[in-house]
This record gives sequence, C-alpha cells and structure tokens, in this order.
Amino acid sequence: MASRKEQKEQARAARIAQEQAAASSAQRTRRLQILGGVIAIAVIVIVVAIVLSSSGNGNRPKGTTTTLAKGSTLHQILGAVNTELAGIPQSGTTLGNPKAPVTMQYYGDLECPICQAFTLDVFPTFVQQEVKTGHVKVVYRSMCTATCGPEHSNAVNQAQFNSQQLAAYSAGQQGKFWQYAELFYHQQGKEGTLYPNQAYLTGLAKQVPGLNLAKWRADRTLPALKKQLATDNSFALKAALTGTPTLIMSGKKGTEIVNGTYLNTYAFPGPSQLAKAVTQVS
Amino acid sequence: MAPTERPPVARGDVARDRLMVAILVVTTLGFLDAAYLTYVHYAGFGALACFGAHSGHSSCETVQSSQWAEIVGIPVALLGLLGYIGLFVSYWVAARLDGELGRGMSFCIALIGFGFSLYLTYRELFSIHAICEWCVGSAVCLTILTVLTGARFLRGETTAGAAPV
Repeated sequence: MASRKEQKEQARAARIAQEQAAASSAQRTRRLQILGGVIAIAVIVIVVAIVLSSSGNGNRPKGTTTTLAKGSTLHQILGAVNTELAGIPQSGTTLGNPKAPVTMQYYGDLECPICQAFTLDVFPTFVQQEVKTGHVKVVYRSMCTATCGPEHSNAVNQAQFNSQQLAAYSAGQQGKFWQYAELFYHQQGKEGTLYPNQAYLTGLAKQVPGLNLAKWRADRTLPALKKQLATDNSFALKAALTGTPTLIMSGKKGTEIVNGTYLNTYAFPGPSQLAKAVTQVS
Repeated sequence: MAPTERPPVARGDVARDRLMVAILVVTTLGFLDAAYLTYVHYAGFGALACFGAHSGHSSCETVQSSQWAEIVGIPVALLGLLGYIGLFVSYWVAARLDGELGRGMSFCIALIGFGFSLYLTYRELFSIHAICEWCVGSAVCLTILTVLTGARFLRGETTAGAAPV
C-alpha cells in the first residue's frame, strides 16, 4: 500500500496533469477560433479584391484582350503601312503637304469596322494618287460611333473612346499618328468589347517604328490633345454627321461631304468617287 | 573559468527554428520581388527585366499595364509589398506579443496573398494571355508561405514555456 507521501505526490501529479489538459484544451479552442477568423477574413478580403479588380477601376476601360499581330503577320502589316506612308509629311493628325490645295477631313472612330474597310481598301490608293502628289492633305478627326454602342454606359464608352483616340493623337505629337491609326485598323477587334485596353494601346505604340514610348505615354495626357478631341466631337455633333467614316472635301471651289454606299447601308465612297470629289472642289 | 554548458535543444525546437528560417527567407524573396515591381510601376517600364515576349513587347509590361494591375487605382504590386511588410509585422507580433495571434496573422496574410495571386494568374493565362515572371515569382512565394505559415500555425507551441517566433 502506498505511503501517505506517495499518495500526496500521486494526487499532485494528477492535478498537474488535469491543469495541463485544461490548458491544452483552452489553447486548442483558441487556435480553432483564430483559424475560423483567419479563414473568414481571408475569404472576405479575397472576394472583395476580386470584385474590385474585375469591376472597379473607375471609368477605366476594361474587357477582353485582342491579341495583337506578331511575327510574319506583323511584318506584313508594317510593310504595308510603311509603303503607304513613306515620304509623306505628317503633323499631328494631318497627312500630306500642309499647303495642299484640297483638304479631306476624315471623321473616324478607331473601333469602327467600316472605317477599317475604307482605310484598308480605298484609302491607300487615294493616298498614292492624291496625297503623295501634294494635291490633297488628309486631316483625321474623331467621332464616337462604333465605340459608343449600346453595350456599355455612356461614361464607359466615352472613357474608352478618349483613351484610344488620344493614344493615336499622342503618336501624332511625334509625326506618327497615321502609323498608329493604320496599325490600329489593321489589328482592329470586335467593336463594343472594350478590347483597346492599356496593354493593347501600349502594344500598338511599341509596333510603331521609331516611336519614343516614354514621350508617347507622357503626351497622352496633354490638355491640347484632349481639347482637340473635344473640338472634333462637338463639331461632328453640331454638323449632325451621321456616321463614320465621314469624308469632307474642301477646296477653293467649295466643300462637300462625300457620300457612298456600302452593303446598302451607310458607307464610304470608292476611289473614283473620291477622285471626282477632289476635282469638284479644286 | 569553467566552460558553460549549452542546454539540450529539443528536436521540436530545431524543426521550428528551421521552419521559421525558411519562412523568413521566402518572405524576404517575395518582399524584394514586390518591391521591384512597385519600383517599376512608378519608374516606368524601361526598368522591367522580363524574358517573355508578347506581341512584340515584354509580356511583363503587358501584364503590368493591364487593367488587372491595379485595384481602385492602387497598383497590385504595392498591395503585395504591403502584404509582405504585414507578414514581417506578424512575425514580430508572434515573437513579442502573442504567439498564437501572430501565427494566425501570418497564415491569414499568406492565405489572402495566395488566393488573390491565384486569381491574378488565372487572369494572366485566360484574359491577358501573357505571363509576367515577376508576378509568378511572387505567387510561388505566397504559395510556399501559405503552406509554411499554415504548418507553423497548426503546430503551435508544443513545449511549455517555448516561445517560437
């Protein structure tokens, strides 16, 4: 039989063990509570961050990414653009001899597919025949049509339009507006999908041979360019222009809007109609 | 003078020390990665060393200039940097103030970083179609940290009086 001293020690050991078990249990409970809190906080923060990331950023354009051309495809596009524009003076959005007797104002929207068709199918011939010869200069102006579709709110559309058009105007500060605009039209995506995001616009700028990227970035916020964009748009509204491309030919004999048909809807004129208009206003 | 005798070190303590060293190393790597991306964001992309190419330009730049590179105007790189600083603070809390709470904080921050970097990697692959090595580097660090800080939190303090950082 255990002595009194042994019994005391056994009781003490049992008490210590009990206390340790209680402490351990309390620690486990606290750890589980913290774990629950950790998981709850993490889930909430991640969900909020994802929601903000995918829907926030103010009016900054968002949307799908259109992959820009690369490799031999890009090489071909650059070849076509360079051949078309080689040797023609540029200043801002103006292409051609500043003293040319005839001016063609080209109201366009970089997302507009009809502008794309005109720019790729008809414009190169016109440039070779009328602009390169110094007879006509072309001034690009902006009018929101395809970009201002029903898919998004006015604020989102306008932010997208300003962002993409100013990207091209900014290249114009280095005498490369037309290279930028033509590269845009060559690689145009589906209208209304907000594809011309920052990566797309920067990617295009990188494709423009000799463009100083840092200057291009800085110039995108120039107040003068924003003012030019606002002036273009307000003129288009005031003149009640109905779509893009709208081509306005001006010379010493007057001014006229050159109409055309395309797939039986609003469109653009062919080379012969353009040549006729040039003759009429010259 | 008699040589001082080192107290015997328990195997659990050694394992905990090694775990903490690994955590500190990975956190430091992630911190440097996020600091670099934050610097690049504010200094301009000329400083961005990236091996990937995307449409004729750096794939890192594609990712960094995408809409997902910012949350309500705050660069994600800066948020990552703040996260790593938060991790260092949590290690300090665990060592000096409250071990259990500090380890919980570490696990929480790492878990948030892991979850969000998982989302960003998804965006890189399926929305931006470009991969930024620096972002992937940070995502890997956060994945490792989630495992290590999780193990550290669940393991807790097993020795009475021991106070692992």
